[in-house]
Amino acid sequence: MSADPAAHGVTPTGAVADSALGRVFAGYTIFATAWLVFATFVGLVVAYKFGAPDFWSSQPWLTFGRLRPIHTNDTFYGFASIALVGLAYYVAARSCRTRLYSTGLAWIGLALFNLAALAGTVALAAGDNAGDLEYREWPWPIRLIFAAGAVVTAINLLATVARRNTHDIYLSNWYTMGGALFVIVIATVGILPWYQYGLGQVAVSGYFMHNSVGMWFTPMTLGIFYYALPKLLSRPIYSYALGVLAFWTNLLFYPIIGAHHFLFSPLPWWLQTTAIVFSVAMLVPVWGGSANFALTARGRLGDVAQSYPLAFIMVGVLGYFVGSTQGTFEAFRSLQAVWHFTNFTVGHSHLTMYGFVTFGIWGGVYALLPLATGKYPSRLGMGAHFWLAVVGSFIYVISLSIGGTVQGLDWVHGKPFIQSVVDMNPYYVWRGVGGILMFLSHLVFAWNVWRMTWGRSAARLPLAPALAEGAAP
Amino acid sequence: MHQHLTGPFWGIAAIVLIAGAITVACFAAMVWMLVRPGERRRDHPKYLVIDEER
Repeated sequence: MSADPAAHGVTPTGAVADSALGRVFAGYTIFATAWLVFATFVGLVVAYKFGAPDFWSSQPWLTFGRLRPIHTNDTFYGFASIALVGLAYYVAARSCRTRLYSTGLAWIGLALFNLAALAGTVALAAGDNAGDLEYREWPWPIRLIFAAGAVVTAINLLATVARRNTHDIYLSNWYTMGGALFVIVIATVGILPWYQYGLGQVAVSGYFMHNSVGMWFTPMTLGIFYYALPKLLSRPIYSYALGVLAFWTNLLFYPIIGAHHFLFSPLPWWLQTTAIVFSVAMLVPVWGGSANFALTARGRLGDVAQSYPLAFIMVGVLGYFVGSTQGTFEAFRSLQAVWHFTNFTVGHSHLTMYGFVTFGIWGGVYALLPLATGKYPSRLGMGAHFWLAVVGSFIYVISLSIGGTVQGLDWVHGKPFIQSVVDMNPYYVWRGVGGILMFLSHLVFAWNVWRMTWGRSAARLPLAPALAEGAAP
Repeated sequence: MHQHLTGPFWGIAAIVLIAGAITVACFAAMVWMLVRPGERRRDHPKYLVIDEER
């Protein structure tokens, strides 16, 4: 840590005047938004194919089997990963009151992430699929490019925190550094050839697909919450110690619970049982973290109603609480016997990756990007985005949750498979309706990002009541 | 349901006891921190981000 704050661009007031950081943050957000629009357009086509299987099936690259992994991988590694790394860089530099260690490394990381997503999309469209390995369908050399981007990101984040001008490492950085380091482990395990067959492949598959959500997207998003929420409310987090406990318990319990995706499989019974028990233990970081955010906002619901960045974040907190608690219940053998392999799981994954992670990203972008670029979205734009996304995702998750339960009960009762397909029909239609609203919200978000970066700024408004001039902290 | 796939009873009991004890201890810590958050000193690191220039 340098003794000379000026060397790191710190003004006498402690603020960091850092236009390079703003450009990096904006660049990551712009590319992430482009991937969001593309990946969810593909998702919409995939959803439509459930009702009209022959739609756009004349070419092999337009078939369901090729488009579905393009949707999931580009959402994960194109949109969410890039957006969260951009936010993490901003949070690290600001909370450490320093400059980014290397803007060059940040741009290299962005190039690697984009190259991986682009090459992965082309490979999957061409039918070059690594197999039935969920969320790692990209051929391994392409996953290696993504892993290289993750290594560059981890180095840059850790080095930025290491040159901080504060005594302590603020909580957000624990989460983002933890996520950045763990994703390297996950990516490496997913590529190592020794366990990619037989039961080892099943265990690694559970490990990879579950941890890519819980040890990469989750800590990164929570890190953004721990920074943006206090900032918007101008009030510190309710319990810092609880945030630390949630970090370590997430790290302790989460990595082993991926096996709960393979109950009733030939995986060792102890692994399945341990995964179930620790799925219950995950309620500690989930309930503790959610309560911590809710108590930070106690008595300030009026602020949430007046501030879209706050509203996005609070929906994200709700998505974290409900989605993760739902995940715990899904891990029970009695419930999984009904829900596994049904569309209920698709609803669950959208409740977590969309209701929690994506809303968290949007809240973070709306709260922080204007501070980095000095440009603001309009209140109308944020409102249109918020309500389209909330209503759309609500319809989406509810329809698949009900439909998936009906589907599972059909199977449990031994009805012909085609009966479950017939029963799912109306829920597929509602899923499509929700998906259309969600996609429209993404177009509005893209317009808002344009205004916060290259386009003409809307009038400068306080992002939350507590940030208005003269507001009491 | 499907009990024949769940393994020997004492094995499960051992896992549930050990993992359960860790879980209960963490739950207790969580509740304690929610009830008594403390951290009132103005130089506590949690004030770092709101003390920053807006």
